[in-house]
Amino acid sequence: MTHRLDIEFARAEGAVLRLIGLVERKGFEICAIDMAQAGGASAQLHLSVTPRDTGRRIEVLSRHLEKVYGVISVRLNDVHSSYLERAS
Amino acid sequence: MTAFAPRTDAAATVAPVPMTGAAAVVRALEDAGTDTIFGYPGGAIMPVYDALPGSKIRHVLVRHEQAAALAADAYARVTGRAGVCLATSGPGATNLVTGIANAFMDSVPLIAITGQTPTPLMGTDAFQEIDTFGITMPITKHSFVVRDPADIPRIFAEAFELATSGRPGPVLIDLPKDVTQAVFPADQYAAPAGRNRAPMPTSAMIEHAMSLIEQAERPVLYIGGGVGIAGAEAALRSFQARTAIPAVATLKGLGAIPTDHPDFLGMLGMHGTRAANNAVHGSDLLICAGARFDDRATGKLDTFAPGAKIIHIDADASEISKLRNADAPLAGDMSAILDALKPAAPSIEAWRETCRANAVKWAMDYDAPGKGVFAPALLKAISERAGDSFIATCDVGQHQMWVAQHCRFSRPQAHLTSAGLGTMGYGIPAGIGALFAEPDSTVVTVTGDGSIMMNIQELATLIRYRVPLKIVLLDNAQLGMVRQWQELFFEENFSEIDLYDNPDFAELARAFGLEAFTIDHRAEVDGAIDRLFAAKGPILMHVRIDPKENVWPLVPPGASNADMMEA
Repeated sequence: MTHRLDIEFARAEGAVLRLIGLVERKGFEICAIDMAQAGGASAQLHLSVTPRDTGRRIEVLSRHLEKVYGVISVRLNDVHSSYLERAS
Repeated sequence: MTAFAPRTDAAATVAPVPMTGAAAVVRALEDAGTDTIFGYPGGAIMPVYDALPGSKIRHVLVRHEQAAALAADAYARVTGRAGVCLATSGPGATNLVTGIANAFMDSVPLIAITGQTPTPLMGTDAFQEIDTFGITMPITKHSFVVRDPADIPRIFAEAFELATSGRPGPVLIDLPKDVTQAVFPADQYAAPAGRNRAPMPTSAMIEHAMSLIEQAERPVLYIGGGVGIAGAEAALRSFQARTAIPAVATLKGLGAIPTDHPDFLGMLGMHGTRAANNAVHGSDLLICAGARFDDRATGKLDTFAPGAKIIHIDADASEISKLRNADAPLAGDMSAILDALKPAAPSIEAWRETCRANAVKWAMDYDAPGKGVFAPALLKAISERAGDSFIATCDVGQHQMWVAQHCRFSRPQAHLTSAGLGTMGYGIPAGIGALFAEPDSTVVTVTGDGSIMMNIQELATLIRYRVPLKIVLLDNAQLGMVRQWQELFFEENFSEIDLYDNPDFAELARAFGLEAFTIDHRAEVDGAIDRLFAAKGPILMHVRIDPKENVWPLVPPGASNADMMEA
């Protein structure tokens, strides 16, 4: 099953590499990738991913991405899951 | 001379004015409360070493960068503050990698500072240039390359905040040499304030968890390293006292409940106790506090606690429901959550008595045949002699499991072990870090004849700083744990495990300047322990043991925890 992740993050050295590396290490294949400026110092990364085996949960990957330093929000399909909202 | 002071005094210099990037690094470390760092100098980090003398920071010169990272790891585990290690670029940085990974796997707050080639040379394959930032990205919580000395105060403050907050972990700061050499106007120095990001579950989530506890008939408290990391052992003990729920612990959770507590059933998992694994298997509610359903703890996951609902408490939300779905997910501050859980005491007296009776019935047996030294009995005796001042630092192998199974721990900080990464060579550097953190504790490194050779050069550090580490070397002239697995699971096809050509370890230790001696027989044990504890300086007790001694009980790889093998 392919999932779409929309990640807003603060632009910084290594930020993109950190995000896509994490997705790969957690057992997901990146099928498509797109990136755009989001205004100010942030950017949007759009990923289509599929799990490499049935034991991988996209919700767990989403939570891993949310805690990466500099990540502002992670949207999984239609579910918006903002770290800042959760922490407040 | 005072213990822990270097034998030779370094020439003190005055901090340069105006401030260089390197001086800003030293000041940022001081501002973060750093009093001790472990490191090894080299070309690209020399400006920082030039700025260190005269600072408030004590630098411990190790003999290999890996030991710097591992010592800083142990320093952090004992103090609860971030440990700091320092190395140069290239091989200095790559030698840190194992130590950084060790801290990452065990959620230890660590600041790793590396020198780097000057920024104009980065990417040109310059001398001792390596992409430290890229190499360490998967094993750090975050990492920085400093491009402007004006960023040093902010980056260091953020690094310490990140390393110690939420689920702790290592943060790397890579310092190009031109940045540390650049002049930095002191009036621009301003460290930002820290932030608190800890979330807290809603009251409805807490109430749901309490209702699960109140309805449970066979609950078990499953304790992981997250309790000690969060300094939440007091809250955990209060929770256990008001609910009287039997408790088990992972390798890293040992000590959160004192080993000799009547409701503590021991370690669970592959080399856990039968009482612990049996209780978990039969439980109807598992309260997981700071653990992560690691495969060494769960055995075959789909047979782990098959009838239990799960309350999962963790500082890291991404650990919850990662491997086992939680019925009550509670992400946030461990102490606050445990303090908030005040259910009506569950009616579990019969279950509690069953667990206690099983712990007695399946207690470890120390009545070993023969006249050789029985390592489990030796380790038990050493930990009991040391009492509450005991800190064990372990290497990895059979001896590591014997320490976990047989030693008495009164607090989480008493058991420093490389749990996640399983780093052979952790023991002696960790012992050094522990003694710099708590000089009055009785720190015992338990090692094996395979592991000790991984960082044996640190015997020189013990002598240099007169660190009174007590090393117990269990020598079976084999890679014992590998041999055990080859015996049990590879049809006795013994391959590359024979260490027949080990050096004379006592003689080797004496060559470094340590007191050292060897024992072979059980009758020598009492006298050997007396000598070990009487030593004022570093000492090595070399113990020859039966090479065929195995670690029991054992859950075979891939099996259920309910299917334990016995000797």
